[in-house]
Amino acid sequence: MGGPVLRSLRSPRVLIASGMIFCIAFCAIFAGFIAPHDPGDQNLVSILTPPAWAGGGDPSYPLGTDSLGRCVLSRLIYGARTAMLVAVFASIGAMIIGSILAHISGYFGGAIDWIIGRMVDVWMSFPPVILSLILMVGLGVGLDKVILAIVLVDWTRFCRVLRSEVLVVTRHDYIAAARLLGFTHWQTIVREVLPATLPLLITLVSLEMAIAVVVEAILSFVGLGVGADQPAWGQMIADARQYVYQSPWNLLLPILAIFLTVAAFNLLGDGLRRTLDVRLAETGR
Amino acid sequence: MLALQAKDLVVGARIDGDVVPAIRALSFDLQPGKIVGLVGESGAGKSMVGRAIAQLLPSGFAITAGSLLFEGEDLVRMAAARRRTLLGRAIAFIPQAPMTALNPVRTIGAQFDEHLARLGEDSRNARRERALAMLAAARLPDARELLAQYPHQLSGGMCQRVLIAMAFSSNPRLVIADEPTTALDVTMHPQILRLIADMQSQHGTAVIFITHDLRLAAQLCDAVIVMYAGRAVESGPARAVLSTPAHPYTRCLQLANPSMSAERRALYVMPDQMPSLRQLQNISGCHFAPRCPLATDDCRRSEPPNIVIAADRSVACIRAEATRSISTTPGAAVASNISERPVLQVEGLQKRYEVGSGLFNSARTVAAVKNASFSIAENEFVALVGESGSGKSTIAKMLVGLEPPSGGRILLNGEDLTAPAMRGRALRAMSLQMVFQDPQSALNPRRRVARIITQAMEAGSRHASWNERLARTKELLAEVGLSADFAARLPGQLSGGQRQRVNIARALCSIPKLLIADEIVSGLDVSIQAQLLNLLARLRSELGFAMLFISHDLSVVRHLCSRVLVMYGGEIVEQGPIATVFADPQHVHTRALLSSVPPDEPEAVWPSLDRNAS
Repeated sequence: MGGPVLRSLRSPRVLIASGMIFCIAFCAIFAGFIAPHDPGDQNLVSILTPPAWAGGGDPSYPLGTDSLGRCVLSRLIYGARTAMLVAVFASIGAMIIGSILAHISGYFGGAIDWIIGRMVDVWMSFPPVILSLILMVGLGVGLDKVILAIVLVDWTRFCRVLRSEVLVVTRHDYIAAARLLGFTHWQTIVREVLPATLPLLITLVSLEMAIAVVVEAILSFVGLGVGADQPAWGQMIADARQYVYQSPWNLLLPILAIFLTVAAFNLLGDGLRRTLDVRLAETGR
Repeated sequence: MLALQAKDLVVGARIDGDVVPAIRALSFDLQPGKIVGLVGESGAGKSMVGRAIAQLLPSGFAITAGSLLFEGEDLVRMAAARRRTLLGRAIAFIPQAPMTALNPVRTIGAQFDEHLARLGEDSRNARRERALAMLAAARLPDARELLAQYPHQLSGGMCQRVLIAMAFSSNPRLVIADEPTTALDVTMHPQILRLIADMQSQHGTAVIFITHDLRLAAQLCDAVIVMYAGRAVESGPARAVLSTPAHPYTRCLQLANPSMSAERRALYVMPDQMPSLRQLQNISGCHFAPRCPLATDDCRRSEPPNIVIAADRSVACIRAEATRSISTTPGAAVASNISERPVLQVEGLQKRYEVGSGLFNSARTVAAVKNASFSIAENEFVALVGESGSGKSTIAKMLVGLEPPSGGRILLNGEDLTAPAMRGRALRAMSLQMVFQDPQSALNPRRRVARIITQAMEAGSRHASWNERLARTKELLAEVGLSADFAARLPGQLSGGQRQRVNIARALCSIPKLLIADEIVSGLDVSIQAQLLNLLARLRSELGFAMLFISHDLSVVRHLCSRVLVMYGGEIVEQGPIATVFADPQHVHTRALLSSVPPDEPEAVWPSLDRNAS
C-alpha cells in the first residue's frame, strides 16, 4: 500500500528531518572523501586554533584544532560515522528483541504476558544510563559493545509500548476471524497483527535512534564508549571541557552536532507518528 | 400556544467548502401534551433536530435558516443566557446511552441533588424529598438505597429510569427523547416506553420521540414525521400515516420490516442505501427517486412540494396516489427443505469462569452456560434468542473454538470437536464458520476485499495462486450481490451493509456446512437488514448450509428461522419450532421477550403499552 509512504512524504516535518538525516548520513558514509584531514593526525605546532573565520584562524583547519592539534571538522565528520552506526544498529537491535517479545506477550496473554511484563518491570527499574554504564564496564569499550549495551537496555521501551498496541489490535474480530479460517498463530501474528503495529514500530525506531545518539555521547563522554582511536562526539566534548575558556568552539561544535542529529530523529519520529498513526490521521486532520 | 413550532428549519453542513443542507425546510407544530415521533433510518437527520433544539450541533453543522419557536420564543435567535435558563429546565433531554450519560464516579444521589440544586431548590432536605418522590414515580424500588449507589451498580434500564426521573423533575414543557431504548435489552423496552408515556401524560409534557422503529412510533406517538435524507417526506397522525402510508419510502420501510403475525414473505428490498450528504449534492429532484419503485422523469426533474392530502397530513411526493400499489411478491418461500440429518449436536455444553482469583482471595466460579443441549439439522436455520448476558455469545465462541468448553460435547457431522485429537482446527475451519456482529472490527482495514474474502485460501499450508483467488473472489462477490469492482476496495471504503456482505462472503469461501451468525443485522438499518435477510435466504437455497442465528430481534428470527432456542441466565429455557413457541410460550422469559415486540398493525393495541390497563 503506497498510501502512507506518499502521505508521510508530503509532511514538512518528515521532509525536513529526512533531509537533515540524509546530510549526516552522507557525511558518515563518505567521511574519508569529505574530511580535509585524518581525524587522528596531530599538528602540535597549531593546537587550539580557532575556526577559520575567527581572528588567528588557519584556513586549512576550517573549524580549528583541538588541544592535540587535530582537525575539529574531520573529527566531527568521522564522529558522525560513529553516531550513525550506533543509532542504526542499536535501535534495530532493540526493535527486534522488543517487538518480538511484545507481539508474543500481547497476542498470547496469560502467563507468558505476565512473565514478560514482570521482566520488563524489573529491567525498567534500573536507571537506563547507569545500567548501560555498568554493562560497558563489564563488556569493555568498543563500537559493538556500545551497540550491545544500548540494545540490552532499551528493548524494554519497544516491548512495553508495542505490547499495548498489540493488545488493542488483537481484540479486533478480524484476528479471531483469521484463526477461524485456519491461520496458524504465526500466520496470524505476521499477516494480521504486525501490519497494524508497523506504523508505531517505525515511529519508535526513529525515536530510539535519537536516544541511541545521546546514550552513545554520554558513554563516550565518560570514556566508556568507543575506543580512544575512534572519534566520537561525546569524546570531543570531554576533551574540550578543560579548555572551554581558551577555545569554546571545540565544546560548542560537537554539542551542536549532537543537538542537530537528535532533533532530526525526533522530528522524523513526530512526523511519522502524525502521518502513519491511523487514529491521529483520522482525527487530527 | 404551541409547545414547539419549527418553521422552515434548515441545518447546513459544511462539506468541501460547500454548505449542504442536512435538514431542509423542516416545519412542524407540536401541541402541549402531545408526542411527535421523528422516524427514519440513520442519516435521515432525525437526531439532528434534537441537537438543533439543544444547540449541540456537531462541528461543521449550523442552523442556516428558519426558526424554532419554543412557546413563541425563537430558540435560534434568543440570547445565550436566556437559552441556558430554558435548556435542562423547560426543555429536558432523555439520552440514547444511559450508562454513559451518568457520571460513573458519583452516586445517583449526588447527581440528582446537583441537578435539583441547579434547578434552584435551595433546601437540601427538600431536594432529597423531591429526588425520592421522582425516583418512586419512575417505579424504581428502594429509592432510598438507590441514592447511595453508583451507576455501575445499576442495570441499563434502571439508569434510564433515573435519567427519565431527572428529566421530568423540572416539570419540563418539552422533552426530547433520542432513541431512549435502543441501547437497552428488548425486555426493558415496554417498561421504559410506558414510563415515558406515563410521565408525559402526568406532567402534560410535549415530547419529541426520535426512533427508527415504525411500529413503536405507531403505538407511542400522536403524530409522526417520517424523514428521509434531511427532508420530512410524510407527516400526520401516527396511526393514520403508518396504516395507510402515502409516501413510497414509508411504504417500502414497512414492507422491509419482517412481520410478527402475517404469512412469511420475501422482504421488500429498496436498492442501495440512503444517500450521504456528499452524494446528496449530485441528486436533482426528489432525493428518494433513485431508490423509489414509482419514480418517473418528473420526480427526477424537481423536488416535490409538500402536498396536503388530508387534514393534518402532508406528503412530499407527486405520485402518492400510487404508493398503495407497492407490494412484495406474496408467497415467496423463505423456508426451504430441511433434512432430518443433524449437522451439529451439542450435548450438555457448559462454560464456567473463575472470577476474582488473586493472591489473597480464592476464586469464585460463575457459570456462563449451564448444560446446553440442542441440535441443528442440515439446511436448518436455528435462532438463539435471549437478553445480553444470557450466554448466547459464549455458546457461539465455544462452537467455533475461540473458548474451550468446561464440559459437554460438540459433535459436528458426528465428530467430537472437544476430543483431544480434534484440537487441530483444520476440520472446523472447513465446515464451520462464523459471521461476526461488528463488520467494522471483523474486517482487517489493511486488506483489500479480494484478500479478505479469500483469506481462507492462504490459511495453514494452503497456498492458492493469486489467479485462483481472484476467480473465487468474483464468484463470492456475485453470490453476495456485490459488483466485481469491489475486489480492489478497502473496508474503509464500504458502507455498513456492504461490509457485512463481505463478512458473509469470507465465511462462505470454503463452503461451510454450518454458519454461526452473531447479531449480524442488529446494527443495520431496516432497508439494509432486509437486503441481508433476503440474501441469507437465497444463499441457503443456492449453496445449502445450516445456521445458528443469534439475535434479540424476534421478528427477524421469525422471518428467517424455523426453530428457536430461548436462553435465560445461561440456560436454554425453551426450544421448539418457532410457530409453536411464539404462539404458546411456556417460559416466563419467552413471554417477556414476545411482549416486548410492538404489534404489526398500527391500529392494534399493544398490551405492554396500553395506557388503560393498570
